Amino acid sequence: MKLGDFLPRGYAFTVIGITVGMAGLVSLGAMAERITRFIDGGDRFVLGQISVAGEGMGMGTGFTAGGLLPAAKITEIAAVPGVSGVQAQVMLPFNTSTSSFLTLTQELIMGMDLSVPIPNRHYRELPVSSGRPLRSGDRRVTVLGADFAASRHLAAGGTVTLAGQEFSIVGILDKTFTAPDRFALVPIEDARELWLRRDPLLVQAFGAGSLRRGDLNTGAAVGWRDGEDPDALARRIQATVKGLNVTIPGELSKLLRQSTAFFSALLLGMGALGLLIGGLSLANTVTAAVFERIRDFGIKRALGATDLDLLGEVLGEGLRVSLWGGVSGVVLALAIGTAIDARLLRDGQQLFLFSPRLLTFALVFSVALGTLAAGYATLRIARLSPAEAIRRGT
Amino acid sequence: MPVLGGVDLELERGEFVAVAGPSGSGKSTLLNLLGLLEPSDGGEIWLGSERVSHLGRRAQARARGASIGYVFQSFLLLSGLTALENVLLAARYVGRDRAEARRDALALLERMEVAHRKDHYPTQLSGGEQQRVAYCRAVLNRPPLVLADEPTGNLDDLHAQAILGELRALAAGGHTAVLLVTHRAEGQAGTDRVLYLSGGRLTSHPPAPVA
Repeated sequence: MKLGDFLPRGYAFTVIGITVGMAGLVSLGAMAERITRFIDGGDRFVLGQISVAGEGMGMGTGFTAGGLLPAAKITEIAAVPGVSGVQAQVMLPFNTSTSSFLTLTQELIMGMDLSVPIPNRHYRELPVSSGRPLRSGDRRVTVLGADFAASRHLAAGGTVTLAGQEFSIVGILDKTFTAPDRFALVPIEDARELWLRRDPLLVQAFGAGSLRRGDLNTGAAVGWRDGEDPDALARRIQATVKGLNVTIPGELSKLLRQSTAFFSALLLGMGALGLLIGGLSLANTVTAAVFERIRDFGIKRALGATDLDLLGEVLGEGLRVSLWGGVSGVVLALAIGTAIDARLLRDGQQLFLFSPRLLTFALVFSVALGTLAAGYATLRIARLSPAEAIRRGT
Repeated sequence: MPVLGGVDLELERGEFVAVAGPSGSGKSTLLNLLGLLEPSDGGEIWLGSERVSHLGRRAQARARGASIGYVFQSFLLLSGLTALENVLLAARYVGRDRAEARRDALALLERMEVAHRKDHYPTQLSGGEQQRVAYCRAVLNRPPLVLADEPTGNLDDLHAQAILGELRALAAGGHTAVLLVTHRAEGQAGTDRVLYLSGGRLTSHPPAPVA
């Protein structure tokens, strides 16, 4: 049996019509998926840890905006009842131009204290797709986020220049579809060095002897013990340790959701629009195709076909045509999305996310709606006598 | 407005009967009613010992497939099927063995001299070839009744005579009654009876010319 035998003859334009509709639906859905994954990823991250920074408005501290967080404060935080671990961090913008500062697309150099486990409950580790993760004792090595590496065609085994210093790339992170995709992870000691090289004011303060290397932290991630309420613990830390900016996970999540409310509304609109346009296009195309064959149905009924025979035939054809259109639409959307993303990846961006659930939904939606539309049209036609059907279709 | 009234017609197997009448007299309506292609407002239609006019939709469909063959003026072949597939369509809904139906269909196409065109689609066939394929479809199941509605209307004389000859031979076989609707005088030649439809009534005499 040839592949072409699977497509009923005379349905080429119907399939093209469905393909276009489904490609639109899948493309809109893939954009919505991409944004959803980004927002959900961010939400998951902030709900997995308590982020703290020193009091003040220090620059270059990523999303834990605040001042320096000295080592003494970290020790105090670790002593607060309910705290399971504190990991000092140094976050530096990769590009220091203000235009990319604190935006959703900001690339960060993130120094991590590898002597303690990652306290974030939702990101106990950051898995690598190639190479290896950072290890305690590493120096001058980095693990790059997927987009950071892809936009620069970097791979494990290569090198990259971070803030004027060359680093060996030991691993590339799995794609997370959220912030870490644009991170360059380095050991915290290396990050502190980069910070000192960049910030003349900090060098002066460091030179005056008021600071030690261990005090150079832009923030810390705090974990909590099992059964502990993270929001309550965050407030306890705020009350117990003076001179801190403490983010309350629940409030930060709420804030994040509020700040992305526009995107959520946009997603809902895109999804509804995609379903409406794709659905109408598909149903209309299939229904029109069945009505176009009204004469054929009249002839078949004259030759002895019962209503059930016709319904079975049309549903079978509707199923095959919808499946063809659905698969072609998915392939078209994948081709367009991949081409656009290949272009956008140069800037470290990705617009589409063709998740398995989206593709499955698109195919099921296509087949179900196509079959339903075909069945509806057939039932309408079945009301006509064979002679009337032949007359109308001639 | 009633199109037909007082129509009383009985056909025997082996009979070849022509129905003549002016345009709009109801010839096609009569054929559609007899062929169960159109529901009737009244009256009865019997096929053998069965009153088919009062059967349900499903039973009527089965009766159409098994017992009635149609030859239409405009051929009414399905454009998406080849000549052979069009002929085999008649066997699909009556539960015939596929291999046997295919053998019969090929033999019929051979006899009608269109076997070499069996894999062609209707748009690739001439009018004469299409009508011969339609004829094969009508007789594939050896129905006891064949209804032919102006079967020569779209054919040249040569092909028209060939189709009429086949219908005549079919009736002469004794198994099938053939009812032919035609306005062509030559179509009535060779029939056993010619009936005239006028004013909704069927008579054996031509209507009197209007003065």
